[in-house]
Amino acid sequence: MGKDKEKRIVSKSIKSYVKNIGVALVCFLIVVVLNFVLPRLLPGNPIAYLTGMAEEDMTSAQYEYYYHALHLNENWFIQFIYYLKSLLDGSLGYSFKKEMVVSAMILERLGYTLQITLPAVVLSTGIGLFWGLHCGYKKDSRIDRISTTALIIFNTVPVFLIGLVLMILFCFKNRWFPYTGLNSTGVQAGTFAYFLDRLHHLVLPVVTLTVTTVPSRYLLMRNTARKIADEKYILYAKTRGLSDYKIKFGYVLKNIAQPFITMVGMSVSICVGGSLVIENIFSINGMGKLLTEAVYSLDYPLMQGILFVTTLIMVISIVITDVICMLIDPKVRMGEKDEK
Amino acid sequence: MKNRRVIPLIVGCVLLLIFLLAALFPGMFTEYGQKEMFAPWIKPSAGHLLGTNALGHDIFTELVYGTRETLFIGTVSSVLTLILGTAIGTLAAGRGVIAGLFNGLINVFVMLPKLITLIVLASFLGNSVWNLIGLISAFSWVGIARNVRAKVISLNEETFIENCVIQGYSRGHIVFYHIIPNLYDVLISRFLLGVNSCIMMESTLSFLGFGDLYYPTWGTMINFAYKRGAFLRQAYGYLLTPGVCIMLLSLAFYFISLYIESRKETISEM
Repeated sequence: MGKDKEKRIVSKSIKSYVKNIGVALVCFLIVVVLNFVLPRLLPGNPIAYLTGMAEEDMTSAQYEYYYHALHLNENWFIQFIYYLKSLLDGSLGYSFKKEMVVSAMILERLGYTLQITLPAVVLSTGIGLFWGLHCGYKKDSRIDRISTTALIIFNTVPVFLIGLVLMILFCFKNRWFPYTGLNSTGVQAGTFAYFLDRLHHLVLPVVTLTVTTVPSRYLLMRNTARKIADEKYILYAKTRGLSDYKIKFGYVLKNIAQPFITMVGMSVSICVGGSLVIENIFSINGMGKLLTEAVYSLDYPLMQGILFVTTLIMVISIVITDVICMLIDPKVRMGEKDEK
Repeated sequence: MKNRRVIPLIVGCVLLLIFLLAALFPGMFTEYGQKEMFAPWIKPSAGHLLGTNALGHDIFTELVYGTRETLFIGTVSSVLTLILGTAIGTLAAGRGVIAGLFNGLINVFVMLPKLITLIVLASFLGNSVWNLIGLISAFSWVGIARNVRAKVISLNEETFIENCVIQGYSRGHIVFYHIIPNLYDVLISRFLLGVNSCIMMESTLSFLGFGDLYYPTWGTMINFAYKRGAFLRQAYGYLLTPGVCIMLLSLAFYFISLYIESRKETISEM
């Protein structure tokens, strides 16, 4: 009887992870379909949306050429197959404005964006975890109250305000950091000086993104840890005379590991969104800048490609974090042992 | 305990009142008209509190007139968000295919990369105030829907709903007359926080250049300032004050919602 019940719990917890991954995939599919349907459904000629050029500016020969190049003479289903094909072969379509394959442009810029977002994700989730864990465990102490109030206030500050304040303080008032681009001119690529120069340029954008994402990470971790600090096993651990350090990292951390990992996955997509604003402020040629360029030049295929890539990054991060959660979940792990 | 909640409430109300007055009667705060021209880039002085911008408009006047647009977009999209969220949350709370479908919809919207989807859609649909409002509310109802769904599920277990079922009321009657009125405490606090997130979203979009240029909001102002070289002119006040205003407005709403939350707690403790 008992074993039966156990198995049911195990399959239930696996099911919830699988469901989560399924939702992420559905989300991905919706974006793909949206990308396909949007230019064809909106009022106006789809050619204008797909090439980004006004219909009046085209000669009839051009019009004919695009009409066939975009397969608009076929029916919707065939068009969709062509669209899927462009996604699968990795080209993501063709930007007629820049006369380049979309994926090549995105790949060129993606690296810069990741250089900002990855350190920011690591820093903000790390700070959020340890600080939140500490304040949640020492709940209602002075440090908890002060830092929670301060971060709640910080949470209401828009990204660009933080970016601009940092820029004014560190770039204009004191010329400590450069305010534009990722490298100064005149530094030889590939040398150690180049690397240091790059780091010097990255400091402010990464700090801005970290500062804007820490409050929500912190609050999430603090509230989760706070709930666990009320549990009886924590009280028991305290009466056994275990040190705070041991309780925090041996008991509380283990129990908030799962929401923490899920949060890391979600922060990836939040940070990619946040880096959009930051790249615009600090004039960094990353994906965010590419997107704004695409918007201003009405380069619709490029925009859709960017949306596709960000959704892909997000889905991948969610799937990875879900699999990690599944692997460390004792319910699943023990259950597997049992079956062997 | 009581005093600690009341002080933020007073601060929040005063801040909100100032912003509301600025939105309704901009003439009270500034003697200049919205499009009155002066020499461009005057330094801040007694006559022009924040100086003038590249076109010679008084920046403080622009800020005061921007309050109306910012508040308008924030509240209208928040109200729309509230309606959408309540409807979808209630629909997702039941059992059966439709509820499952709406639940799936909620799960999908939680994951979508919001800002980038919004930008792509905004550039397809064109940037007018109403498009912006529609898009913002179409992408921010998720939080409300999840809260409403949880609350409706817990309400469904209550005895008074059971009583209604026994009395033979239809499901529609129960939902409209008994469940939705009981959602008010969730809805009020979510509404106030919703205004915040809508304003934040709007200002981010406007900062990136998706705002309506004829009715500049605070986000649009920063976009202008940034693009027209306020950095080089050292007009830091021009760059920072709209952001500070956004922060103060968000804080005002947050403080008020904090008070409502704490009142709710004391009521349930009694």
